[in-house]
Amino acid sequence: MTPTLTARPPELREALYALSIAKDIPDAALLDDVVRRFPQFGGELTNFAIAIAIDALHGDAVVEAAEAALDPNVLSPAVSRAMSRFQNRLHAVSEPTRLPAATDRSVSADAINPFASLSREDFRGFARRLDASSVFVAKLRDRQIEPDTLTPGFRKRVADDLHAPLDVVVAHFSAAQGGATGPQFYKADGKPNNGGRQTFEEAVRSSGLSEAQQCALLAL
Amino acid sequence: MARKLQKIGDDGPLVRPDAVEAQIDAALTLTPQPLRARLAITDPRDADHLRSETLVHLVRHGRRTGDQGLISLALPVLLARCEANLIVKVPDGQLPEAATVREDILGEFSELFASDGTGKNPDELDFYECKFNRAFRFFRIDVVRRETGRLKHVAQMPEPDEDGEPEPHDEVFARVSEAFRSPAMQDGDVFRSELHDAILELPPDERNAVILVHVLGYQEESDDPGEETAATRCDCTGRTIRNRLTRAATKLVRFKEDL
Repeated sequence: MTPTLTARPPELREALYALSIAKDIPDAALLDDVVRRFPQFGGELTNFAIAIAIDALHGDAVVEAAEAALDPNVLSPAVSRAMSRFQNRLHAVSEPTRLPAATDRSVSADAINPFASLSREDFRGFARRLDASSVFVAKLRDRQIEPDTLTPGFRKRVADDLHAPLDVVVAHFSAAQGGATGPQFYKADGKPNNGGRQTFEEAVRSSGLSEAQQCALLAL
Repeated sequence: MARKLQKIGDDGPLVRPDAVEAQIDAALTLTPQPLRARLAITDPRDADHLRSETLVHLVRHGRRTGDQGLISLALPVLLARCEANLIVKVPDGQLPEAATVREDILGEFSELFASDGTGKNPDELDFYECKFNRAFRFFRIDVVRRETGRLKHVAQMPEPDEDGEPEPHDEVFARVSEAFRSPAMQDGDVFRSELHDAILELPPDERNAVILVHVLGYQEESDDPGEETAATRCDCTGRTIRNRLTRAATKLVRFKEDL
């Protein structure tokens, strides 16, 4: 009765969707029915039905109120980063045969993002190895740091840890920010400055890191 | 005309609700300017509000036809709604890194659209065109449970071996069942919030017994060996289920007066 920690097989994912889609709160008849269709996942389905039931206790009224209160003219940083991930994934899916090349030094937004192919676990693992926070690594991924302020030692450390050519990592950091995003991210009539990049030190200082972690990163 | 869904459910291919189907057909005819105006409507009671199911279709349509402009209009709006959902459902304090988990969920969800039509689950987003909130609920709970499982490696304590038949606690659980049956009507529903927290604080075995019997409606046990019960679902005896319920009831007893 413990949650699955690994990626789910497609059939289990299908079964869990079926359980979640059918009713607001599953009942015994629904759970029995889904388990009959996917008997190999009986325990996991039971756990998930329980989780859905507990989740449903709050109802959707609060969520609906939160959605209704959204300001359609404001794009949050989290949504912006999610859009960036979408575009990176789209790029990876669209050009699966493209290999990292040392010639990718373009400062256009099309430079290969070596973080794009990282799974959630890989991303966290990278942050752990770097002894940094996910927030800081997200800044690296999203090109939010002035490339010229990154120390050579830090660049090399990132390249080594990602098992990516140093040229590719340097090109990624140097590429235009938010390259994946289109004109929809203009929050005003004018073109956004696409800026807001921090220096390496500013990024380190503002990512929720301890003093020791900050010193270690800046010393690279 | 909205493209037919490909995912096969128990009763054949998934089908969108009629209202969704009609709204998608109408939305596909909109030019950017009126579409932008419709997307700016956040009140779901407004007749021109576009449902999340419709937004999913628009993004997928843009993805299939290479219409980046359409994606650029619809996807950020959909993701903003998801973020609002996550802020409510995965609040700060529920997990040590709730903000990071929310961002992970949002990022992973956005990648579903990029991978649409590819990989092992090419039609996964079909679910979201039928019942968006329930499909996204799966996505969210799945990630949160993985995260919770990563953080908690709680050793299971041996259960006390209680003698005699456990006491029934019908009153307590009648209140609990009632709370689950009646939807929350207002934002600050303190009772439900406290009950939710109290149930989460129960040991997993007790929590499972309470939900299986008093929310999902399973019998504790049955003489019929073919019948699924809370005992068979938890792979234990009926008496064990009753003992777990008794222990849970003592922790939830304060709620019997509160509803």
